[in-house]
Amino acid sequence: MDRFLFPKWANSIISVLGALGGVGALYVLGMVAFGASPETTDVGYQPEQPLPFSHALHAGKLKLDCRYCHNTVEVAGHAAIPPTATCLNCHSGADANGVVNTVSVHSTSTKLAPIRESQATGKSMQWRRVHDLPDYVYFNHSAHVRRGVSCVACHGRVDKMETVTQVKPLSMGWCLECHRHPEPNLRPPEFVTKLDWVADGDPHEVGEKVRKELNLNPSTNCSTCHR
Amino acid sequence: MDKKYWRSLNELHSTPGFEEILHREFPVAASEYPEGVSRRRWMQLMGASVALAGVSGCRWEDEKISPSVSRPEGRIPGVPQKYATFMELGGLAESLLVTCYDGRPIKVEGNPDSPQNQGSSTVFAQSETLSLYDPDRAVGVVERKEGTRYARDWQAFLDYADTVLGQARQDGGAKLRVLADVSSSATRRNLQEKFAALYPQARWYDYTANSRDNIYAGSKLAFGEVVRPHFDLSKANIVVCLDEDLLSEHSAGMLHTREWAARRDPAAGEMNRMYAVESRFTTTGLAADHRLPSRSVDIGFYLARLEAQVQARLAGKTPEPAGDEYADKVLAAMAEDLVANQGAALIAIGANQPAELQARVHKLNEQLGNVGKTIRYSKEPLATDLAAAEALRKLTDEIQAGSVETLVILGGNPAYNAPGDIDLVSALSKVPHSIHLGEYEDETSLLCKWHLPKTHPFEQWGDARSYDGTLCVAQPLIEPLHDGKSEVELLAILCGDKHPVALDLVKEAVKGSLDSMTVNASWRRLVHDGVLKGSALEAVSPKVKSLPAAKLTEAAGEELELVFYISPQVYDGRFANSGWLQETPDNLTKITWDNAAIIAPATAKKLGVEFGSVVKLILDGKSIELPVYVLPGQAPNSISVALGYGRTAAGLVGGDVARDVKPVGENIAALQSKAAMNFAAGLKLEKTGKEYELAITQDHHSIDAVGAGEIHGRVGQLVREANLSEYKSHPDFAKHVTHHPPLESLWEELSYEGQAWGMSIDLTKCIGCNACSVACQAENNVPVVGREQVLKSREMHWLRVDRYFTGDDVDNPGVSIQPMLCQQCELAPCEQVCPVAATVHTDEGLNDMVYNRCVGTRYCANNCPYKVRRFNYFNFNKVYEDPNRKLQALVLNPEVTVRHRGVMEKCTYCVQRIKAVQIDAKNDQRPIKDGEIVTACQQACSAKAIEFGDLKNEKSLVAQAHASPRSYAVLSELNIKPRTAYLARILNPHPSLAKPDSEGHGHGEAHAEADHPKTAEKH
Repeated sequence: MDRFLFPKWANSIISVLGALGGVGALYVLGMVAFGASPETTDVGYQPEQPLPFSHALHAGKLKLDCRYCHNTVEVAGHAAIPPTATCLNCHSGADANGVVNTVSVHSTSTKLAPIRESQATGKSMQWRRVHDLPDYVYFNHSAHVRRGVSCVACHGRVDKMETVTQVKPLSMGWCLECHRHPEPNLRPPEFVTKLDWVADGDPHEVGEKVRKELNLNPSTNCSTCHR
Repeated sequence: MDKKYWRSLNELHSTPGFEEILHREFPVAASEYPEGVSRRRWMQLMGASVALAGVSGCRWEDEKISPSVSRPEGRIPGVPQKYATFMELGGLAESLLVTCYDGRPIKVEGNPDSPQNQGSSTVFAQSETLSLYDPDRAVGVVERKEGTRYARDWQAFLDYADTVLGQARQDGGAKLRVLADVSSSATRRNLQEKFAALYPQARWYDYTANSRDNIYAGSKLAFGEVVRPHFDLSKANIVVCLDEDLLSEHSAGMLHTREWAARRDPAAGEMNRMYAVESRFTTTGLAADHRLPSRSVDIGFYLARLEAQVQARLAGKTPEPAGDEYADKVLAAMAEDLVANQGAALIAIGANQPAELQARVHKLNEQLGNVGKTIRYSKEPLATDLAAAEALRKLTDEIQAGSVETLVILGGNPAYNAPGDIDLVSALSKVPHSIHLGEYEDETSLLCKWHLPKTHPFEQWGDARSYDGTLCVAQPLIEPLHDGKSEVELLAILCGDKHPVALDLVKEAVKGSLDSMTVNASWRRLVHDGVLKGSALEAVSPKVKSLPAAKLTEAAGEELELVFYISPQVYDGRFANSGWLQETPDNLTKITWDNAAIIAPATAKKLGVEFGSVVKLILDGKSIELPVYVLPGQAPNSISVALGYGRTAAGLVGGDVARDVKPVGENIAALQSKAAMNFAAGLKLEKTGKEYELAITQDHHSIDAVGAGEIHGRVGQLVREANLSEYKSHPDFAKHVTHHPPLESLWEELSYEGQAWGMSIDLTKCIGCNACSVACQAENNVPVVGREQVLKSREMHWLRVDRYFTGDDVDNPGVSIQPMLCQQCELAPCEQVCPVAATVHTDEGLNDMVYNRCVGTRYCANNCPYKVRRFNYFNFNKVYEDPNRKLQALVLNPEVTVRHRGVMEKCTYCVQRIKAVQIDAKNDQRPIKDGEIVTACQQACSAKAIEFGDLKNEKSLVAQAHASPRSYAVLSELNIKPRTAYLARILNPHPSLAKPDSEGHGHGEAHAEADHPKTAEKH
């Protein structure tokens, strides 16, 4: 009996399969890379907070300075979330005798109940973190805002957000972009919390000037952020 | 320089085991997972040493931010704050500055304001954060009834105490006894008086395993009153230590080391000279210019000979020529130096030596005019009527006689460390009402009816005095984690105060020392500073009474003696559950996780025992089995064994028989007796035929390039040393130890802008006390790996202290030590072989380690000539991922990444500290001051041997050190340009004992015999 032999055209199947496999692998790789990139996963993250605090109202409409609440931002690594006491400066409820401070705003609002509860019980508010870097990244707020990098550079126009949303990928590549060419994101340090600030002239030139004045040489060493 | 260097007897004699270690690229296959019993211990360890772990794999981890309800003024979240406090050991305080991160203590440093330590700290202090979060700490009040353990609360105890003490009050406390750990607290003394008034018939006993009773008795004998000697090493040209570790184990060791080291800079004035006569090898012995090994029982013999020679010289007699024996020469040199430096010398004798010898040393010091100059005396506030062992015996007798109804044990663990001839263990079970206050449910707690949780030193208010008498105050850094009460709080309860406020008690007690016009302000100042300036003990000037003439005893035959000593790692056993301390290699032996019978080579040979063979030590019918460690330089016929091991109820690290965890080492206290607490002659030794492998780090990380044959020559290039005379004729001798043709790099050399970080380590000052190593472990989240892993050379210490023996005489070698850490090479060989760029250079010269990139090829460690890279063979930090171990995770420094399995790690020059200062300085637009950045190791160093800073700033201390003629780079011939420089060690031997200076300009022997051109490539 004749042995079965693959016909000659069968050879081409191998290359077709190979090509398909190659394209498939590339496709999978591409999908994984796209799906796992911070631009896909992180940008747009908008967790619901325990109470509907509006930055658009407080920072935008009322024009409260960022540092009224995040008052450690210039001296510490963390831009601390304000303690309950800060909220109560304006939103205190009735005291033990049922007397409400005359300047208190929305002292009976149900939306503010968690704040009043926190004050009464002494338990912390449980805010949900929006901008979360991996634990092996040591980001320092003071090192940026004191050097003329505005809040807006990383957090976007928070003064227009009802609920805070992550708008930048906060990926390493994104960080490095600015560390290599910081000029577009530099402004005189006194304007860092003025989110609607616009450069008077060419933003690049303004940034260049700030860079020279403050002698800024952002480092791209690994240990700058990873220790 | 014709010295021979070696690290162990195995190496000197090239045993097959050592060859194997040398020829292995990596210790053992990485895939070996711990198995069997060892596996269990390892798993337990995981549970015990260092949460958090940074496993934020998934982006949508819902992380909560919980801000304070009302943030305290001045508190900035994430900014560490430092608070002053202290820890007390043996009744003497070590003032500390503890770093708190968001309210949790994470790092201990010495208090810079303390005149005693000036910022440096001991290994014990460094490990206090680990013990604070130790999961084995006692968590609540416990009652034991008929062998059953019941969890109770403080109210239950208060009710119980009411009944028991109510009865005691009826009869004036005739059957009430207190057994307390020694303390210098004024608060405690106040309460003690109150207690005595309330229970006039009650008795109070103090006990500590590390007693200074001989010193008390000696001064009483000499002066008729108990006084405390204070040494001023800054004024001493000659220091003689007789069985005394003046530099590290002495309670004022840090002060002594600082002052001693300040006199060891040959460029900064006259160098001091130190002699040590001692049985076991101590840090003082290795730092000494001359060391005479002698049995502890023979110290009296040598002292008598020294006295005779000094007196003869003082009387103007021409000294007889010294004999040929080494001992004769050393004694003659000592006598000559002492007499030539009257008033600028000092003789110190160890607390283990009997009172008569202590008294004679006082007398000798007085005769030499040292008193009032290098030695001053003060009152001894800790003196007790009864010696510690005597107190314990009396209490035991009273219990046996049925005259003790209620026994309160304040701290300490007497059931564990009572000497063998005092049967406190069986006595304790006979006490109807026994109460133990302790941080752990230890051996003593198990025998008592009630166990009360004691607060950790960082959880309490307190006061105590340091060795010089300086008043130290402790403030709580954290609320008691386990419902504990401090010693003074319990005492106040016993005195009838149901709800004592420790703050008020302490304030009341120290008020007398404060300015009466501004008590509140001075109190706040005192709490802030931690120490009260100018509160040192006042000097007294006692005169030596006439002493009975010294008997010129003969050296007592060939009898074996057993020396007990307080462990430099676990102290009297109280730190047995600290993984950091258990894994700290002993200064000399480099043993971890064990104690051993340390024997001199000659004695081992005579007895026919070898390294690692298990022997039975028999003393007065009692025996104990221990492995042998043959230590060159140990006194012949003297066997020393560390106390503090063999804990049976320490915890999952130190041993807990109830939970099936084998004790670490053996408890030698069983061989101690009331009469012989420190050393005993008449030891018998029997071979058992068993073998035991000690976990020793000394042969690990063989630095040598070309194998054992080259080692001896090579080590002389690693640790460079010379005598003072040689230094004087060739100050830059160290630079000429190696010669090589002009070096050229195969790689593109980097240029450095901005700061250039560098370090220098002065080998003349370093005494090898290990403080730097433990400080590094605490600062950098360095994991503990356990005995089995150390046996496989997998210890993780970023900073190790290498120890090399020098000379040809195995019975009395010199010792050179060298702290070895990442040298931050400018042309780092590790970087050149990393396939994934996980280790790269910064433009400030740091050799960065990027944990996230590391894939664990270990090429870098292989290519590192210093062998300072450490690989995580396992996830040594796994414990922190366990939700039940959240508390323990608090010990981790949040500024340093916790490394995972399969990742290489190493010293980073404490880059987190550099960055913190850099950011601060730049925020204020100011330059960084020299000395502003202090690395963890530098901070802990009491000898101030380590400098760190910017090499580009010529005025910086580190740049000056690099410019010193003594500075050299280790393995500079490899052209790797390390940023760490060592300053060569200069010894100051007595001219009659010094070996002649080598010819030429300080070349080594190998260099001298083969001439330059021929061996140019080799060098």
